[in-house]
Amino acid sequence: MNTGEHIILSAGEKTRRRIFGLVGRSFLFAVTSVAALAVLAIIFFIARDALPFFHEKGVAAFFFSKAWYPAQSPPQFGAAAIFAGSLLVTAAAVVLVVPPGVCAALCMSDILPFNVRQVLKPVIEMLAAIPSVAYGFFALVVLAPLLQNAGGRVLSVAWWVLALPMLALGSVVAADLLSSQRLSETSYRLVRGLLTFLFLALSLVLIVQTGNRLGALQISSGVNALNAAIILGVMALPTIVSVSEDALQAAGRELREGSYALGATRAETLVKVVVPAAISGIFSAILLGVMRALGETMVVWMASGNAAQIPKPWYNLLQPVRTLTATIAGDMGEADQMTGSAHYHVLFAMGLSLLIFSFFCNLAGEWIVARQRKRLRGG
Amino acid sequence: MRITTRKLLDRAFTLCAYFAVALMTLFLLFVLLPIFGKGAGAYLFTGTVEHRRMLLDQFNRGDAEQFSAEWADVQQARRPIYAAVAAFEKELPGLPAARRKELKASYKEIRVGLGVLLGSEPGKPLPALTRGLYGQTRWDRAQEKVSNILYEETWDYSGGAGKRVLVPRQPLFEGTALAPIFPLLQNNLRDLLHPRFTFYPGFLIDKSIDAHFFGGIGAEVMGTLYLALGAMLIAVPLGIIAAIYFQEYATEGAVLSFLRSCVNTLAGVPSVVFGLFGLAFFINTLHVSPGKSVLAGALTLALLVLPTVIRSSEEAIAAVPRAYKEGALALGAGQWHTILTVILPAALPGILTGTVISMGRAAGETAPIIFTAAVSVGRMIQPSELLTQPTPTLSWNLYNICTEHQAVEEIRHVQYGMAATLVVIVLVLNLTAILLRARVARNLKG
Repeated sequence: MNTGEHIILSAGEKTRRRIFGLVGRSFLFAVTSVAALAVLAIIFFIARDALPFFHEKGVAAFFFSKAWYPAQSPPQFGAAAIFAGSLLVTAAAVVLVVPPGVCAALCMSDILPFNVRQVLKPVIEMLAAIPSVAYGFFALVVLAPLLQNAGGRVLSVAWWVLALPMLALGSVVAADLLSSQRLSETSYRLVRGLLTFLFLALSLVLIVQTGNRLGALQISSGVNALNAAIILGVMALPTIVSVSEDALQAAGRELREGSYALGATRAETLVKVVVPAAISGIFSAILLGVMRALGETMVVWMASGNAAQIPKPWYNLLQPVRTLTATIAGDMGEADQMTGSAHYHVLFAMGLSLLIFSFFCNLAGEWIVARQRKRLRGG
Repeated sequence: MRITTRKLLDRAFTLCAYFAVALMTLFLLFVLLPIFGKGAGAYLFTGTVEHRRMLLDQFNRGDAEQFSAEWADVQQARRPIYAAVAAFEKELPGLPAARRKELKASYKEIRVGLGVLLGSEPGKPLPALTRGLYGQTRWDRAQEKVSNILYEETWDYSGGAGKRVLVPRQPLFEGTALAPIFPLLQNNLRDLLHPRFTFYPGFLIDKSIDAHFFGGIGAEVMGTLYLALGAMLIAVPLGIIAAIYFQEYATEGAVLSFLRSCVNTLAGVPSVVFGLFGLAFFINTLHVSPGKSVLAGALTLALLVLPTVIRSSEEAIAAVPRAYKEGALALGAGQWHTILTVILPAALPGILTGTVISMGRAAGETAPIIFTAAVSVGRMIQPSELLTQPTPTLSWNLYNICTEHQAVEEIRHVQYGMAATLVVIVLVLNLTAILLRARVARNLKG
């Protein structure tokens, strides 16, 4: 048999192949579209079940009233306290986690040797992989009793560990800054020594007083906003570390070498050159962390105490709060799945709010990344 | 700023960074150690004769002959206690009214305590719940329970906050027929319960008996596996097809960037919203099953992991060297042929990595299955019921038994065991993925 026949295709074969390819291509496109458009279906169906609530009860009461009594008759569905709870817990988690997260990312990208980094990557992946319900279990069974029985002591130890080195360093630096203005060498030393001593004494007073106040604190319930925020922070940590690390790595070697060549120390290079260059990546890392913390359900359900109230004062993390996700999970629960009741629809209204928020976070993240890319391309 | 201060700041900054990394690692240990340490206690513990009795009765496991000899020994040791109780029952009506009143409440607690410690008394009518049938199966729990019999728990509020005080009951019953049980319980507890080091691998596969008082977590493990596998069965084909389209077919343009941002948005949807969607769409609109079912849960979880599967498959396909593809095309293979016989096999380990990670995620998720697949009380589900029946799962039941169970403190070991099992399953899947990825990296290097 002549093989040449197979290489040159007949006209019929050619059309068949073209049709076959076209069909295959449309099949791939169709399947991909289904996968991608699922998100539109989600938005549509959540909105479909959320709108009856807004129709019936109005928008203002939902967002601005603090009266959450779904079981009363007539039921009241004011979700302001629940929105506040979600915001408080998320904000606290982000405040707790961003400084150590960004520090850890800097450490991994610029300070640690390659081998250690290879060991740490799995640690981060494990932190990310632990199921949220296991974190919730930990919060409920280990952290909550710890906070309840020894919360004051734990907080005061944490305060000492963090504040003592920070304030000591701050005193030395502040004394140096103040005294290095146009002074001769001997008077510089004298003034600097005196100022350092003064600042150290002041900060020691501050540390001891605050530490004592924290140590005397009685935490009435271990399940509270602080507990949830700590665990949420830990859960958001892997996202923040790995995304910021990528951004820091992407800042490039030339930038760092240029800075070193100008005589900057490593810390100065990182803080003044690398971080500003990677700031948009770090922002999108924080946004992703916010989304993770806000959308997390099991941990807040188990650790936040589930009291639909705004803490007094509003920043008091030691009081229980209730979040959107926990309300959805808890109230839908196992009993109340009847389509049509206002309680059913209000939970979809909360879901819709979460969805819209995460949608905007996503848009913001993509916008930041796109802008950065454009700037880098533009030089 | 002087150079010494700048150097100091530099060192402090480095320390700070090390501290952050150490903090991260320490917290991982802080979370994992108690879960693993106490979770192992569900499998390895000092079991009593009651544990062996329960296994033999309920699961027909263990050596019946050996057990009956041991059980006879135990009965022999317990006889004086039951005899003392019976004698006290007879004596009680004859006591002066004031003394009777004094003893009554405490005696009632002792009777309850004995039932909890040793199980139902032989020859007496069987209790309604299985938890009343057997005594304490674990030696650590038994020691706690025996103190409930020996001591009365009271609270001292003199110092403001309440303080627990244990008052021995023995002096109260001095001179009655019940008095001999106290030294017996205090000194001969080992003879009553025969504690022995026990390895109970059945915890992983046994069904739970009487709301997790006895038995294992087999139903939950099976439910978790069914859901995770089902989700992967749906998500992986979809994800690979989408990845092939994105990498090999799609041309840059508005449609592509729209589809891409859809996938990105899907990745950001909170997990509980997936649960709402599963309820509203799969159950209330499509009616894939009459109520919650494994099918509905697997569909919901599949959507949840889809973006991860797509992204990792895309990365794997993109990592296949161009030369492979060009070689295949140059040999006259069509695009389909190239994808199926050259690109996919080369990308397979990478795709597998993403699949395994996603499976771990699907196994650990709770919020999406609360409304679509999970029940707190349920039996082990059969494969034929997957399309219609809900199932208990590790994740949901862990939540359930540590918040809504009627005796949360009594079954701590089950909670820890369940948490440890879930974490081990998820971490083993992730470790597999890490090892797979290391191999892929090595192979690509050549």
